[in-house]
Amino acid sequence: MERIFWVECRACHGKFYCDYTLRHAGLQLICPYCKEKFLPEEAAWLDERWR
Amino acid sequence: MEIDRPVWPADFDVTAILEHLTLAKRYPSLLFCHTQDLRGEPSRFPLATNLFATRARCARAMGLPPERDKMELSLAYAELERQRIPPVTIPASEAPVRQVELRGQQADLGILPIVRHFEMDLGPVLTMATIMKDPDEGFYDITFIKTFYKDRPRRAGLTIHSPHHLRILKKYEERGQAAPVINVLGHHPAFFLGSLALAPWGTNDYEVMGAFLREPVRLTESVTWGGDFLIPADAEIVIEGVIPPGEKEICDPFGEVTRHYQAQGLKQAFDITAITHRREAILQDVFSGHEEHWYLGSIPKEGSMFNSLQRQHGCIKAVHLPNSGAARFTAYVSIKKEREGIAKRVGMSALLESWQFNWVVIVDEDIDVFDEQEVLWAVYTNTDPSRDIDVLKNQYNIFFSAAGHQKVIIDATRPLDSAFPAKINVPAGAMERIRLADFGL
Repeated sequence: MERIFWVECRACHGKFYCDYTLRHAGLQLICPYCKEKFLPEEAAWLDERWR
Repeated sequence: MEIDRPVWPADFDVTAILEHLTLAKRYPSLLFCHTQDLRGEPSRFPLATNLFATRARCARAMGLPPERDKMELSLAYAELERQRIPPVTIPASEAPVRQVELRGQQADLGILPIVRHFEMDLGPVLTMATIMKDPDEGFYDITFIKTFYKDRPRRAGLTIHSPHHLRILKKYEERGQAAPVINVLGHHPAFFLGSLALAPWGTNDYEVMGAFLREPVRLTESVTWGGDFLIPADAEIVIEGVIPPGEKEICDPFGEVTRHYQAQGLKQAFDITAITHRREAILQDVFSGHEEHWYLGSIPKEGSMFNSLQRQHGCIKAVHLPNSGAARFTAYVSIKKEREGIAKRVGMSALLESWQFNWVVIVDEDIDVFDEQEVLWAVYTNTDPSRDIDVLKNQYNIFFSAAGHQKVIIDATRPLDSAFPAKINVPAGAMERIRLADFGL
């Protein structure tokens, strides 16, 4: 199972998830709901739990 | 069915209609005659979707009677997959797809009524086939690829995970060259069914398409590369462009075949160089994660898998990739079991037929693998979990599921090495003697 992480958009608070390769890549994620661009660290909420 | 009322595909109008129909277990092919483009303005392009949503329609597309839509259809597919009919080239002036040519700033994806399918999708996505050409051997490779509209008219993102497309792309990238690629957004249904054939590396897929169409594919020069890259002359719409070396775009989420969203990630950039189309062109789309997406996976694999397993074991009765496994994760195989242990051997062979499989279930020949209730009955009554279920770990799979990189073989055949109950049955003679019509039923 590939690792993912969930984020909450800092602008519209919509939640979506990303491949874990984007977690520390220094690239801005794009919110699918409002197109806000933000770094994972700037997310309103982030869930990267992994077992 | 033709729909006259205007729809805006980018605002979920189309997928909401399809989802309502699916919930009602209705699977018509739909032609939306009046659509809006990505800017919400009336589009010149109607939209066709759900064409492959029944196996019977897929059979008709391949020239078979619709009632031959189960194993016969899959075996017919496997037979066509082995045949080749070379394409022919016609002048651009005679090619329907070259009737309208949009170049430069005019080549704007925003004119298309592209479908946004699901709530978490990053945006509108084109779901039909792409074609690449090997730079060394010159053959064409055709497969289904998602194309993401990127809010810029001439830049898109491509999510390539077809092994042959990736191999071709790598050659261009190693040379620092932009890779030509075209997106075919409408053609004969047999063209798209054929594009999923499991042809070996080096096959000119235009020859395979010819076999499925039962006539040569007509090709013509592209706008961007002329005779160096030939495009299907009878396509509805073709997008021409290049994948610039090393350039990536954020793509996904997208509601995938597995009914999960693909996670957001970095994928190939796609720079549009031209759009060509018929004067009365229709944009085609696939309703991802639903029946037509699944049949586009199961029908091409079942026949070739049957042939391969039969060559190895000689006891195969039928193969089915059920919709419950998204026609990707799961295979049901029925066998004529003559000795204990053979089911596991068939299961191991079956796993090697596709790197997408997580689950293989082997049943006896009296179980109809196209009837999931029968298959699950066999699992729940015949399978001894401590002996008949095997898990192989650290295997590869691209799709996200909790099984991840594990493969599971379930032997749901009746054991031959111990006394075991019989399945109930009404005597065959009685079934033949009694006719419902004689009893007013």
